[in-house]
Amino acid sequence: MDPVNPWLDPSEVRRLAEQLLRPVAPARLSAADPGFDAAFVGFVSGGVVADLPQPTKSAPVAVQQAPTTSSVPPLPPTIQPTASAPPSPAAPPIFQPVPEPLAAASSLTRFLQRIHIFRDWLSKNFQATDIFILDREGKVIFDESGHGRLHFMARNFAAASRGSGNIHVKIGPSAILEVIPCETPYGSIVLGALLPDALPVEQINTITQILIQTASPA
Amino acid sequence: MGKTTLSINLAHAFARAGFNTLLVDADPQGSVGLSLTRQSRLLSGFYDFLADPSIPMERLIVPTRLETFALVAAGQASDYEAGNGSSGAHLARVRAFLRNAAARRYDICLIDTAAGLFGVTNDIISSTDAIIIPQQAEPLGIRSVPKLLEGLNRLRIMNPRLNVLGVCLTMLHQGLAESTEAASALHQLLPAEMLFQTFIPRDDIFIRASAKGLPVGALENGKGAEIVFDSLRAEVQAKLARSRATTNYQPH
Repeated sequence: MDPVNPWLDPSEVRRLAEQLLRPVAPARLSAADPGFDAAFVGFVSGGVVADLPQPTKSAPVAVQQAPTTSSVPPLPPTIQPTASAPPSPAAPPIFQPVPEPLAAASSLTRFLQRIHIFRDWLSKNFQATDIFILDREGKVIFDESGHGRLHFMARNFAAASRGSGNIHVKIGPSAILEVIPCETPYGSIVLGALLPDALPVEQINTITQILIQTASPA
Repeated sequence: MGKTTLSINLAHAFARAGFNTLLVDADPQGSVGLSLTRQSRLLSGFYDFLADPSIPMERLIVPTRLETFALVAAGQASDYEAGNGSSGAHLARVRAFLRNAAARRYDICLIDTAAGLFGVTNDIISSTDAIIIPQQAEPLGIRSVPKLLEGLNRLRIMNPRLNVLGVCLTMLHQGLAESTEAASALHQLLPAEMLFQTFIPRDDIFIRASAKGLPVGALENGKGAEIVFDSLRAEVQAKLARSRATTNYQPH
């Protein structure tokens, strides 16, 4: 009896091997995102993972300490029950949950609707781009970034945080990758987004709360 | 057995061929350091460098009798993060180490990693130019190949320049049907360019050299066995030349 082949899927093994032999397609990065070149070292936030080694002075990417002062914009205080009451111009960002789902819509459809509304809220109020959400195994639930390396980093940083909270890392002159691990009724998820600046703790907490609501059964 | 034997002897083969070679023991349970004197084994090593940014690179490097061959032991902190750490946690320090090695003009920096795709091993693979996969010619080991390939594909997202030089069969027992059948199965499964033509036979002299953490040529009557690793070195060189990768490759 063949001691090896009954355990393997030859076509799958060959596919994986041939994939390794092919050059990796360059990531879709603009000149404004130089953080992924050879100089990138990928430090996590020093304030979050205390037992990580500190960066050397020559490291091209600086550790971003989470600001904790009150000089940040006010936080979204409430979650509006309907989408019909837009915030006043002076009001802080307000998250608008999903509209009533159609009777025929599946729970997945409703979930994705809520995610899209969450994405719009995050984008509008925090200038977030390249937003993505991963499940506990690192599989993509939602993605508009198209950057596999961002997913990879977010997954590893979330694991490195060991439940200590968010992590952010500077990946370009005006680009911070913010990684927010989050426990939801559906399990652990990881939110990733590119932001122009690191967010204060209060806003991270707000985003986390709203993400939990977004990823909770309607 | 196989990974460390290949690392030591391949590094030695490069050094004998005139390449300025640095062999790094990144496997806390490996035996590269067994060849060092007891005093040398108390020196700081690779894991100390990861844990303590104040340790200078020159403190890690242990010269050998061969001018072109130097070692970095796993170090005193070798139990630290011995595979239990998260990937990415040591990426910066691993890259700092490789930059330091490149600055010292080593032609080849060959890193013997801990087995498995996690923790520091992932950070090393995410930072190197190329990887060699030693694979024992036995059925159980070969069944794990798909998982390994899958993991490497994932790591290439992080390190697109990673050049997978191929799988090198080790511990091939020509007189044992299961061993030759496993080797044959791997040849059928993988594209030819993914397999090294050179294989490491199961031979007493390799086991004796491995037990002492020495290159096979350092043993009495071991010179003849060096030809195996000279052949592997030539294959590696050809593959690297083809890919234009020139430094920092490591076996898994």
